[in-house]
Amino acid sequence: MPSHPSKPESTAMPQPTLRRRSFLKLGIGSAVVLAVAGGTVAMLKPGLVDGKLSPSAREAMGKIGQAMLAGLLPSEPAALQAATEAILQRTDVFLAGLPVHVLEELGQLLSLLTSAPGRRLLVGLPESWAEATVAQTSAALQSMRESGMALRIQAYQGLHDIVFAPYFSGEESWQAIGYPGPRAV
Amino acid sequence: MSNIPDPILEGLQRGWKVLGGKHAPLPEHITCDVAIIGSGAGAGITAELLTKAGLNVVIVEEGQLQSSSDFKQRELQAYAALYQENAGRKTKDKGITILQGRSVGGTTTVNWTSSFRTPPDTLKFWQDHFGLKDFTPEALEPFFSQAQTRLNIHPWEAAPNENNELLRRGAAKLGIKAETIPRNVKGCYNLGSCGMGCPTNAKQSMLVTTIPFALDHGATLLVETRAEKLVFDGNRVTGMQCIAVKPNAAPVQAGTVSTTIAAKHYVLAGGAINSPALLLRSKAPDPHKQLGTRTFLHPVAITTAVMKDAVEAWNGAPQSIYSDHFLHTQPVDGPIGFKLEVAPLHPMFFGANLPGFGAKQAELLRQYPHANVMLALMRDGFHDQSVGGTVELRGDGSPLLDYPLTDYVMDGARRAMLVMAQIQFEAGATMVYPGHELAGGTSTWAATKAAIEALPMKPLLTKIGSAHVMGGCGLGGDASLGVTRPDGVHWQLDNLSIHDGSIFPTSIGANPQLSIYGNVNRLAQALAKRLSGKDVVLA
Repeated sequence: MPSHPSKPESTAMPQPTLRRRSFLKLGIGSAVVLAVAGGTVAMLKPGLVDGKLSPSAREAMGKIGQAMLAGLLPSEPAALQAATEAILQRTDVFLAGLPVHVLEELGQLLSLLTSAPGRRLLVGLPESWAEATVAQTSAALQSMRESGMALRIQAYQGLHDIVFAPYFSGEESWQAIGYPGPRAV
Repeated sequence: MSNIPDPILEGLQRGWKVLGGKHAPLPEHITCDVAIIGSGAGAGITAELLTKAGLNVVIVEEGQLQSSSDFKQRELQAYAALYQENAGRKTKDKGITILQGRSVGGTTTVNWTSSFRTPPDTLKFWQDHFGLKDFTPEALEPFFSQAQTRLNIHPWEAAPNENNELLRRGAAKLGIKAETIPRNVKGCYNLGSCGMGCPTNAKQSMLVTTIPFALDHGATLLVETRAEKLVFDGNRVTGMQCIAVKPNAAPVQAGTVSTTIAAKHYVLAGGAINSPALLLRSKAPDPHKQLGTRTFLHPVAITTAVMKDAVEAWNGAPQSIYSDHFLHTQPVDGPIGFKLEVAPLHPMFFGANLPGFGAKQAELLRQYPHANVMLALMRDGFHDQSVGGTVELRGDGSPLLDYPLTDYVMDGARRAMLVMAQIQFEAGATMVYPGHELAGGTSTWAATKAAIEALPMKPLLTKIGSAHVMGGCGLGGDASLGVTRPDGVHWQLDNLSIHDGSIFPTSIGANPQLSIYGNVNRLAQALAKRLSGKDVVLA
């Protein structure tokens, strides 16, 4: 919404084909994407380890977080890296509150995102997460967000949740947006 | 440093029987007069009345026992400790995010305190379509009245905060009447933190009212304990298997029944997703295929405004002004009607629920002190194209709600967005952002109207939430019309009552907490009389 201007011409846009009954559960959808890519589940790295982000998932979520929170995070590289690390740490705290079925689904999504075929087909990024620029990542996320494919929108919204919720739980975000914090009791 | 007394810690020191989690080990077997599943609105009212009648009651709660000493007004901790699925429970297609409580006190521990009686037109619909002849405003009056007295429900007397006042101001300019919300608070500090648990015990939730009453009168409370399965013999429940769970609901020891409860009577009050799920897991009789169907959500559409003046929507009573104009000016069974309210805004809630990301989004987020989010709660269940959702089970037995967002509902979302945006501009908005992934902010009513009219109102693209889950074990005047008899007893199981929002045959058309209190108050008084021979009243 605020990431691009109003589109009064949006009636002319392709209507997303969100046929509810054709929705694939993320697990099945992931397998379909991989089958198309010629991959197998065996080649995937885990997205979560002991309920926390795996090293490869941290790399992906770090870049996704920097793209999603552009304009709120510091721009100086060292400060940006420190802020990103702080968010990833809080992401692990946030994940600890999630029920098992959500963690399983999220683990599959992150696993898929960190595989080359998953990144190409689901996100639309050919580069590795390390090589992808923030601008490229933003464009890919925007494409997921407006996609006609339910699985891509669901994946985008899942990523949005696990970036924004941990970020806005932190006091540095409160300063960025003008929240004074809870009143003393 | 807070010097607020903590009634839960004091009760524990007095010797309350609280087992499970960090409190005390769960015994292998428990026998009692009545086992109550859940500890929210329906469970709390029932527990108070049954213990008042002298019955031996056991309350089973899946969530944790938290209290004012734990309530630090921090979203990260509160959502994990006090809500189903970390405040992110979603429908099957992920098109709706559901806020639902999960701790002692249930949703009453975290709701925003809005308290409305069941509207007469809703009751009339139940009489006409579900054979519920006795569900009249007159018959329910004493039961609502008692609940209002017991829980200190009064129209909010302080001035509304700016977040609420702007609804009244904008609506008035359009000739739309807006009124003051009754709230269940006593000595409210006006902190605005209701959604994270009340740190001052001002909110008269079940956590600080009926549950302490029941515990003081001998009830036993099991926490971090999930009612996993009911066991039947013919038309009677003969036992209930419970398992110990961790704070995120995962079993402490997979496949292990921690406690078996044998009760003379069972009261199911786990909320309108978990109650049908327990019956589904238990393979309860369901000859008319009603169980888990007609689950309603009041799907909520939103528009976000940046106002000319500061709003500080985190501050003060979360909800104090509402408008029922779009419920009262149209037929109950016509195009979907909606109730207008506003949302309190704390950073996680605001950031996570606004669509969009990146630099443009950052511009809006930096306007947070000037932000207002308006809500339209759509009254579902009154039209043949509004049949709600269906509760099903995942492979692990956890519940999943399939709620299709039909064109009928989404037409309401568009109409509601148009109304809300216009009210926000009338109240002084400089920008309005419809809650939709394809919408940008616009600075005039004309441009916003054109934008909303052009949006494809599709699931996932349109931001839809809910904080009101109802139905799934609906009341019916005969067995083919519902799961629950008009007296609250399961149609096929003689010693099982259902006392929560799951019994409503439609949505309420208003925030449902007082509807649960009042309706359950009547059912529970009759149950107490049947089981004990004693007459008891709530207040």
